[in-house]
Amino acid sequence: MNERIVHGRIDRSGALVSADAPLLRLQQRAGAGLGKPLALPHLARLVALAQRLHRDISRPLHAADDHSDILALVRIIPDADGASLEISDWRARPVAQPQIPAIADNVVMPHGWTWECDQQLRMVALRAAPDAPPVPADWEGCSLSELFELQPDGDGRFPVLRALARQSRFDGQHVQADAPDGRLAMTLSGDALFDAVGGFTGFRGSAVVAEGDVMVDAVPAAMLVDPAFGSLPLSDPQFGRRIDGALRGPLSRIIATAETISGQFDGPIRADYARYAGDIAHAGRHLLGLVDDLADLQNIERPGFKAAADEIDLGDLARRAVGLLGMKAEEKGIRIDAPRTDDKAPATGEFRRVLQVLLNLLGNAIRYSPDNSLIWIRVNREGDHATVTVADQGQGIDADQQAVVFEKFERLGRTDSGGSGLGLYIARRLARAMDGDLTVDSAPGQGARFTLSLPARDVG
Amino acid sequence: MTDSVSSSGIDPLSARLRELADYLAAPAAGRLTEEQRALSLGIARRLVADVAAWLDPAIDADGLWRDWLRNGVPGAARLAPICFARAEEHRWREQSAQRTPPPPILADTGEGKSEAAVGAPLSEVDRAYLALQIADRRRFDALGHPALAVADLDGDVFRGLLRDVAAWRLPEVSQYQARAAKLGDAVRVATERHAAQRGIADAGAAYHKILGAGLSEAAGQATARHDWPTLIALAAAALHRRYDDMALALLTAETAALPSLLAPLHLDRTALAPLEASLTMLPSRAVTDDGARDYREMLAPGQGKR
Repeated sequence: MNERIVHGRIDRSGALVSADAPLLRLQQRAGAGLGKPLALPHLARLVALAQRLHRDISRPLHAADDHSDILALVRIIPDADGASLEISDWRARPVAQPQIPAIADNVVMPHGWTWECDQQLRMVALRAAPDAPPVPADWEGCSLSELFELQPDGDGRFPVLRALARQSRFDGQHVQADAPDGRLAMTLSGDALFDAVGGFTGFRGSAVVAEGDVMVDAVPAAMLVDPAFGSLPLSDPQFGRRIDGALRGPLSRIIATAETISGQFDGPIRADYARYAGDIAHAGRHLLGLVDDLADLQNIERPGFKAAADEIDLGDLARRAVGLLGMKAEEKGIRIDAPRTDDKAPATGEFRRVLQVLLNLLGNAIRYSPDNSLIWIRVNREGDHATVTVADQGQGIDADQQAVVFEKFERLGRTDSGGSGLGLYIARRLARAMDGDLTVDSAPGQGARFTLSLPARDVG
Repeated sequence: MTDSVSSSGIDPLSARLRELADYLAAPAAGRLTEEQRALSLGIARRLVADVAAWLDPAIDADGLWRDWLRNGVPGAARLAPICFARAEEHRWREQSAQRTPPPPILADTGEGKSEAAVGAPLSEVDRAYLALQIADRRRFDALGHPALAVADLDGDVFRGLLRDVAAWRLPEVSQYQARAAKLGDAVRVATERHAAQRGIADAGAAYHKILGAGLSEAAGQATARHDWPTLIALAAAALHRRYDDMALALLTAETAALPSLLAPLHLDRTALAPLEASLTMLPSRAVTDDGARDYREMLAPGQGKR
C-alpha cells in the first residue's frame, strides 16, 4: 500500500485548479490540464456527489490512462468554493488487453484447447492446439456447461459460475469433456471480455488436459457392487476412487445445472421453479458432502491410519471454527460465546483434523439450536487432557440416542435436517486416533454438550 | 514454422534491385512496417497450411512453406490483398482492445446472480449474431493468431491456391499413378466442398437480412462497442461486397469518405464518430488510391464465391 496522499483542488466550476504530480499527470493524459474541467469521469462523478450531499465522502476510485489502470481511495471534502481531494493507496497496474487473443506465441499448451463463449456462455470458438486431442464435433453455439461437465472445487463451488457473477477472470475450473477420442479431465481458465462501452461480452480462455490423467477411467457398472450403505467395501483402497467416478461427476452436473437454473443465467423463469432448482442444488450439495464423508471414512478406517501430532491450542482452534461458521449462526440469530483470546488449552493433535472435528460439533450445534439462542464453547484442562466443550440450547438428546449418536448414519435422532450421519462417527474416530475422545452429555430439553479431549501439552 | 524471412547473407541480387527500383519509383511513399509484413506473412502461411490439409492431410505443410519461402509464394499477387486486409483488420481490433476502458469492478455477488447473463431464449436475431461471431472466430488459429478461414475465400483464390499446392505435391506422387490420379480427384472434391461452405460473408448477409429495420441501430451499436467484424459484415452485406474487400475498403478509406461508404447502414455523424476516431489512431494506416483500385479491379474475381 502506498501511504502517500495525493492532493488536488477543484473549484466551484468543476475545474482542477491544483494537483499533485500523479493526479495532474492523469488529468493531462486524459487530454486536459490545470484550469480545465476534471477529465476523469469517475472522479468527477464522485466530486459532484460530494457537492450535492454537502458532506465528505470516501470511495474507491478507478481511473485509467493508456498505460495502466489506477485503483485508489479518494476522500472528497466539499466546501463553498469547490472541493479538496485526498487520494491515498494509489496503485497502478498494467492495462488488461481483454480482446486480444489470450494465448501468446510462447505459451506452450501440449494438451490444450482454446475456447471463447459469449456472455450467456454459448461457445463461439473452440480449437485444439497442435498435438492436443481433437475437439468434440457440434460444439458451435452449445453452452459451456453442456460441453464441459463442471466439477466443484474443494468448497463445492464452481469457479466459472462465480466468475460469471463477478464478470472476472477465473482458473482452476475442473471439468470433464467428451472428446472424439474419449473422456478428458481438463482444467479451464478464462479471461472476462468487455467491449468498448464496458459491456461484458463473455470469456476467452484455455482448457488444459489434466496432467497424468489424459483419459478418465470409465467405471464399469459391475464395480458398483452393493449400493446399500451397510455393505460398503470400506477396506477396498479403490473405493474412494470409484465413489468419485460414479457419484461425484453426475452430482456435480446436477448441482451446476440446478444452480444455473436457480440463478436464472439462461433467462428469467417462474420464481417457484427457481426455488425448486435451488432446492435441487441444495440436495445435490448434501449428497456431495456425503460422498466427501464416505471418502474420509474410507481413509480413516484404513488400517494404520495415524493422525499427526501437532502442537495446537484448543482455544485458538475453537475461535477459528467460530470465525468460519459465525455467519451461518448469525443467519439464525444465534450468538456464539467463544473462548476469549487469553483462554488457552495447549494440546497435541493434528491441526487440520481437530479443526474438522470442531467444525462438525459447532455445525451440529447451529443446525439443531433454535433461532436466537446461545452456543457456548469452553476450553479446560482435566488431568492430562485438554478439553473443548460445545454446548447448545437445542432439544437435547435422550439416553438411548446418546448410546448410538456416534454410530454411522445416525443423525442425532433426527431425519429432517442436513448431514450425512457420518460426521460424529468420523469425529470420534479422529479424536481416538489422536489418543483423545469425543463424548456427549445431554438431557431432553436441556441442550447437548459435546466434549473433545486430547492429550494436554505442558507449556514451559 | 517461420513467419519471417531472414537473410542468409547470399540474397539474390535481382530481389534487391527490384526493391530498389520500387523505392526509387516512389521514394516518398510509406512502406510496410515490420508488423504488417509479419502479420501478413503469418496469415499467408496459415492459409497455405489449411488449404494443403484440405487437399490431403498427409501433405508436409512445413516443407511446402519452406520451399515457397525460398522460391517465392505462387499467386502472391492474388494473396496480397486478402492477407493484407486480414492483417490490417487484426491490427485495428488489437488497437481497439488496447484502448478499451478497464472493466467495471463488481461487488462479490457469489454464484447467485449475473446481470450480464440474463436473457430470453435465443431469438432469430440473436441466433444470426451468434453465427456471425462463430464465423469470425474461425478466422483465428488455436493460439489466437489471425488467420483466413478457408470458407471465407473467394472461389477463384481458393482454386488457384489449391492448384499451386497440388502442383507442389505432384512431383512427390507422380511416380505412383494411382496417387497422382487421387490428387486430381482431391482437387475436384475440395473445390466442390468449398463451394458449399458458408463463411463470414454469408453469416453477415443472414444477420443483415434478419435485422431488417433494425440495421441502423445494430450497426450503431457495433460501432459504439468497437465490434468491428460485425460492422464490416453488415456493410459488406449492405453493399453486396466480399467481407475482405469491405474490410480493406473501410480500413483504407479517407475519413471524409466514411459517411458515403457506409451510407447503406444509415449511420449518423455521431454514430460514425467512434469509427473515425479509431481509424485515425491506427498507426501506419494506408489510404486507398487509384493505383490500389486498379490493382483490386485487375484481381477482382468477379463471379467468385462472395
